[in-house]
Amino acid sequence: MRCDEVHPRLDAYLDNELAEPERTGLRDHVESCPDCGPEAAALERLRDEIRNFAPVYRAPDELRSRIRFALRREASASASAAVPRAPGWLAYAASIMLAVAVGSGGTFLLLGDRQTDAIGAEIIDSHLRSLLGTHLTDVASSDQHTVKPWFAGRTDLSPPAVDLRMEGFPLVGGRLDLIAGKPVPALVYKRREHVINLFVLPASPTDHGETLTRRGYNLRHWDEGDLGFWAVTDAAPTELAEFERLYRATTKG
Amino acid sequence: MAWIAERRRQSRFEAVVLPHLDAGYALARWLTRNDADAADVVQEACLRALRYFDSYHDGDAKSWLLKIVRRTSYDWLERNRPSEVVPLELDSDSNGSVHSPPAGSTDADALLESRSDLRRLDVLIEHLPPPLREAIVLRELQELDYRQIAEVTGVPIGTVMSRLHRARAALRQAWDGKGCR
Repeated sequence: MRCDEVHPRLDAYLDNELAEPERTGLRDHVESCPDCGPEAAALERLRDEIRNFAPVYRAPDELRSRIRFALRREASASASAAVPRAPGWLAYAASIMLAVAVGSGGTFLLLGDRQTDAIGAEIIDSHLRSLLGTHLTDVASSDQHTVKPWFAGRTDLSPPAVDLRMEGFPLVGGRLDLIAGKPVPALVYKRREHVINLFVLPASPTDHGETLTRRGYNLRHWDEGDLGFWAVTDAAPTELAEFERLYRATTKG
Repeated sequence: MAWIAERRRQSRFEAVVLPHLDAGYALARWLTRNDADAADVVQEACLRALRYFDSYHDGDAKSWLLKIVRRTSYDWLERNRPSEVVPLELDSDSNGSVHSPPAGSTDADALLESRSDLRRLDVLIEHLPPPLREAIVLRELQELDYRQIAEVTGVPIGTVMSRLHRARAALRQAWDGKGCR
């Protein structure tokens, strides 16, 4: 091989991109040629310098959660566009629950306030989504000093994140969710194998002390100061009422 | 049920794409040369990727994402710093020399001249014209092979080879020319 044939192929040779007969030919030439040998060595040195000393950029954690959130918003936007056309299994499930509720003496309530109704429906949707997907929590921790600061900067609403483990409702983490197009914090608690999502929205004038049952999920709503709390779960209504009582008692103190 | 399908699609998307977020960010960072701009580009690229996700068929996820990040970076530069965009197809007009910083940064120019770190490799790489810069970054820092670089940058393998050759020649010239080794 002549030097003028070797020279333009040196990069590909060093990048390990040459097929076999050519590669051996180049290697033999480079090893023996007084011009091409040093040339190849200089290229290798450059490569090592770049790999060893060029800065390694990594996506900051803040960007990761920003992207996760943007993706979720995008997905829920296209999903909520799809909801009105969704087939009737939810209605079907709701009708079964209605039958069950009526049959068992009836905790099923109809809400008069349409706005509250819509928010309640959205909260139950979000609860369902959190159970289906891989993102029950964005920050998994039972430590209130981890969970509460995590929300700072991500949302204006800052809920008290108390762990109620001793009372049988361990805090498992927090998540940023989307209700009515706005990012809101959701605290995630467990009651045995049941998940309780506690969504925190701005306080609204309507307050309901009853447990509402929708599509088989129980929902409680209460306001505390300027925050509105929406707790949703498939645990029993009595357990949800107990959760509300404990959460309010602990956060007041 | 549509939102369940949507949710599944999104979970799959996150599993495919998010492992390559560092690679995407690094490419955007080299192309925009700025942390905040790179972050904006990567976020936009991820949303684009989600929209194009149906066109992804279990192939090389890293190359697929990098291709979108690269396209998004150039779109972003065109919108925000039009003076920096070098026509990508005109390979022959960039002779492989290290370009001076874009117009409007003469202060930066003067600053660089006066600073010893002009010899630093990262500064030299940042001043390569974008087609050469992306080739060297994808090869040396992302360790893509020629076929993958061709896929990401949308040019034939022969062009990848010649861009890498020219990028390295330019880097060596600038590096040696300043007396660093």
